Amino acid sequence: MQKYVIRRLLLAVPVLLLSSLIVFGLMRVMPGDALILLMGESGNVGQKELAKLRKDLGLDRPYYQQYLLWLWQMVSLRPGDSIFTNEPIVVSLGKAIPVTLELATLAMVIGLVIAVPIGVLSATRQDKPSDYAGRVVAVAGLSIPDFWLATLVITFAAIWVHWIPPIGYVSFWDSPWRNLQQFLLPAAVLGYRLSAATMRMTRSTVLETLREDYVRTAWAKGLAGRIVVYKHALKNALIPVVTIVGGQLGTLLAGTFVVEQIFALPGMGRLTVEAILYRDYPVVQTNVMLVAAILVTLNLLVDLTYAWLDPRIRYQ
Amino acid sequence: MPATTRRDFLKRAGWTGAGAAALSAGGPGRRAWAQQAGAYPEWIPASTKPAKRGGVLTRASQWDPPMIDPRLTQSVGTFQFAGLTSNRLVRYLFSDEATNPGDLSLRGDLAESWTASADQRVWTFKLRQGVKWQNLPPVNGRELTAADIKYCFEAYAKEGVQTLTFQEIEAMETPDKHTLRVHLKTANALFAHNLAEPIALIFAKEVLEEDGDLKKRLIGTGPYIMKEHTRKVRVVLQRNPDYFDKGRPYIDEYIILSTPDAATRLAAFRTGQSDFIWLASPSEVETARKTNPNVLVQSFHNTLAPFGLALAQDKPPYNDVRVRRAISMAIDRQKQVDTVFEGHGIPGWGVPYIYYQDKAPTLKELGPWWQYRPDEAKKLMAETGQAKGFETTLFYYEYFPQMSSQVQLVQQDLKKNLNIDVKIQKLDYTTYYGRYVDSKWDGMSWGFQSGHAIGLDERTYQYMHSKSPKNFFRVNDPVIDQLTAKLRQTPDKAEQRALAKKVVDRELDQALRLWMPYDNGFLVFQPHMRNVAAGALRRTDGYGSPTLARAWMDK
Repeated sequence: MQKYVIRRLLLAVPVLLLSSLIVFGLMRVMPGDALILLMGESGNVGQKELAKLRKDLGLDRPYYQQYLLWLWQMVSLRPGDSIFTNEPIVVSLGKAIPVTLELATLAMVIGLVIAVPIGVLSATRQDKPSDYAGRVVAVAGLSIPDFWLATLVITFAAIWVHWIPPIGYVSFWDSPWRNLQQFLLPAAVLGYRLSAATMRMTRSTVLETLREDYVRTAWAKGLAGRIVVYKHALKNALIPVVTIVGGQLGTLLAGTFVVEQIFALPGMGRLTVEAILYRDYPVVQTNVMLVAAILVTLNLLVDLTYAWLDPRIRYQ
Repeated sequence: MPATTRRDFLKRAGWTGAGAAALSAGGPGRRAWAQQAGAYPEWIPASTKPAKRGGVLTRASQWDPPMIDPRLTQSVGTFQFAGLTSNRLVRYLFSDEATNPGDLSLRGDLAESWTASADQRVWTFKLRQGVKWQNLPPVNGRELTAADIKYCFEAYAKEGVQTLTFQEIEAMETPDKHTLRVHLKTANALFAHNLAEPIALIFAKEVLEEDGDLKKRLIGTGPYIMKEHTRKVRVVLQRNPDYFDKGRPYIDEYIILSTPDAATRLAAFRTGQSDFIWLASPSEVETARKTNPNVLVQSFHNTLAPFGLALAQDKPPYNDVRVRRAISMAIDRQKQVDTVFEGHGIPGWGVPYIYYQDKAPTLKELGPWWQYRPDEAKKLMAETGQAKGFETTLFYYEYFPQMSSQVQLVQQDLKKNLNIDVKIQKLDYTTYYGRYVDSKWDGMSWGFQSGHAIGLDERTYQYMHSKSPKNFFRVNDPVIDQLTAKLRQTPDKAEQRALAKKVVDRELDQALRLWMPYDNGFLVFQPHMRNVAAGALRRTDGYGSPTLARAWMDK
C-alpha cells in the first residue's frame, strides 16, 4: 500500500508539470492584457509607462524565463502578488479557500443525505410510486441548471417569506448563526444538484447488488431486510458512488462560480473567474495549479477508499 | 381521493396553458410600461422636515472596486464611495441644494471661493479654513493646507488616469496656507469643472509617501471614514465626527455589499437588506413595487448615450461622410427604443443636452441623417460606389444584456438595407477594452465614452479633439477641433451654450459618432430615504455618491 501511494505521488509530478505548462501557455495565448486594462482607463496608455510596469512585473522576460520563475515560486510556496490588485495571492487564497471549503462540505453532506437514502429506497421499491418519485427528483436535479435554480430560490424566498440569506460574507468563527444562514441555501442548491447523479448511481448499483448470490443467501438465512440492504448490499454498491462523489468534490473545491456569484460568496470560483477576465496571470496560474493538486489528491484518496470498501481490492 | 384521468389531466393542462397565454397577452405591453414609466417623477425634491441623525444605510452593489487608488482608476466601483471619504476642490450641487437634476452649478468643496484671470490661464482658489484630515494615522487629524492640494495635483499629473487634466498645469504656487494659484499651459475656462469631476479627489500625501500607492488606505477630509474594504464582500464607511460641515453627515454608517447578481440585488432590496437600487426597465420597477408598493421611484433621465457605433473613420470606406450618413440612416433607432428598452430610452446623442438646450432632443431634432430612411440610405451608399454592400466586422463587450439585442438589430438593419454583412465578435472585457483603446482596429466597434465625466470640457474637447488621447471614436474634423478648442477659451455661459450647440450640430451632420439608444433607468429607494435624488450624469449609487453626505433616514 505504502509503495503504491508513493508511486502515485511520484506520478503526480508529471501530471502537475503538464498542467502548469498548459495553463501558462493558455494564459499567454489569450488575447488582451491586464496592463492595458489597468492603465487603459485613462485613455492615455503611455508606452513608456507600460514598458516600465512590464519590467517591474517581470513580464518583459522571455516566456521560458517567466515560466521557470513562476515554477520556482510555486515550489517555494511563494506564488507572488496579483497584477491587478497587488494583493499577495496567498492572502487572496486564504480568504477564498475557507468559503469554498465550507460550501463544498455542506453541499456534499446535503447531497449525500438526499441521494443515498432515496437511491436505496428507489432500488428496494423498484417500479413502485416511491421509486418513480425518487427518479423524478433525480432527473429534475440533473436537468435544472444551477443558475436557474439558484435564481428561483433567491427570488421566491424574497417574495414568499420576505427573507434571503444575509449578504456580505462573515466567517463561521465571527458569527456562526449568520454564517450558517448565508450558506444554507447555496449549499442546498448545490447539494440537490449533486445528489441527482449520486441518487441515480446508488439506485442502479444497489439494484445490481441486490441480485447477487450472496444477497440472496442473506435473504435465505432469514436476515432482516434492513440488515441485508444496508450491511450486505449497500457497502459493496458504494464503489461507483464513491467515484462519482470524489469527482464532484473536486469540482466543488475548484469553486462554483455561478452559485457564489448569485449568493455573493467570495469563494474560489469568483476569484478564479475574475482573474481570468482581468488576465491576472499569477492568480489564474496559482489557482489552476491548486485545483490540479486537489484533483490528483482526491483521485488517490478515492482509489484508497475502494480498498476499505471492498477488502478484495489490494494495492501493491 | 378521486384518481386523475388522462382526460382530466389534459383538460387542466390546457386551461393552465391558456391562462399563461392570457396572462402574457393581457399584461401590460411595452407601450403600457412606457406609460407607467412616465408616471414616475424625474426629481425627488429635498425633504422639508428636519433631518434625523443616525441609522445604517446599506446597498447591494453590482460593482466591486478593483482598487481604491484614485490616481490609478476611474472605476465606478471605487467612486461609488471614494467621493464620501474624500473631497474635491469644487463640487456640483448636492440633491438638497438643487431644484432639478440638470442644475450643474458649482459649489466650493474644499475651496471657499475661486477666480480665474481674464485670459483663463491663472486660477486662484481660496481654501476653506479649519478643514481637518480624518483622525487616522499618519495624518492624525492635522489641518488641510494648500500644499496638500498642490501635492495631489502633482501626483495626478505624474501618473495614472487623470494625467490629461493635470498635465495642463504649468506651475502652482501657495502664497499662503489657504491659497492655491494654478497656472495653466493654455487657457481653459472649464478648468474648475474638470476639478469638480468625481474622480479629482484630494488624498493624504502621507499615505502615498508611506505606502508608495493608495491601494490599501484612502484617507481624506470627507464625511465618511473608510472602516473596512474587503474585496468581493463589503465596504464599510463610518461617519467622520470631524467633518468640516458641522452636524453632517446624518447617517452613522454606509455599508456597500458586493452583490454581482441582479436577481440577488433585487431580492435584497425587496427584503430590506438594501436601501436603494437601480433598475433598468419599467417592468422591473413594477415587479419590485408588487412586493414593496411604498418605495420612492425616480425616473432617471440620461442626458447622453454612452454607447454608439464607432467606425474606423480614418480609413475607407468610413472616411467618406456619405457612407457614415448612409449607415446612420439605415439603422432604426426608434425600434431599439421601443423593443429593447420598452419605450423608456433615449434615441442617442453624445454631448449632454443640458449644455446646449433645455429639453432632451427628440429623434427628429437630431437631423436628417439620424432618421430611419432606408431608401435614402441606399441611394447615398450607391453614390459612393458601394451599392452592392461590403463585409465588415463589429466587436463589442456586453456591458448589459440589452446591448447584444441592439448589436443584432444593427446587424439586421445594415444587412437588410445596405447589404452590409456585419460579422459580430462578442469579446470578454479585457480583450475588448485593450483592442478598443488601442484605436488600431478596422471595421466597427460598439464604442463608449467614459461614464464618470460631468464637465463639458471632458465631453467635448477631451473626447472629440483629434489630438486628444481619449478620442476613441477617432474623430478627425478640423471644425470640431476649432470649436472644442474655442469652447475652452470661452468663460461666458451663453456663449458656451451656443458653441456647444455648434459642436453637436457638426457632430450630427458629419455622423462622426453614431450614437445608439440607451436606457434611462430608475432609482428606487426604500420609503424612509430622504435627500437622495440623483442629478444628471451622477447617479446616487455611482459617481454621484457624494450627495449621500446630505442623505438621512426617516425612521
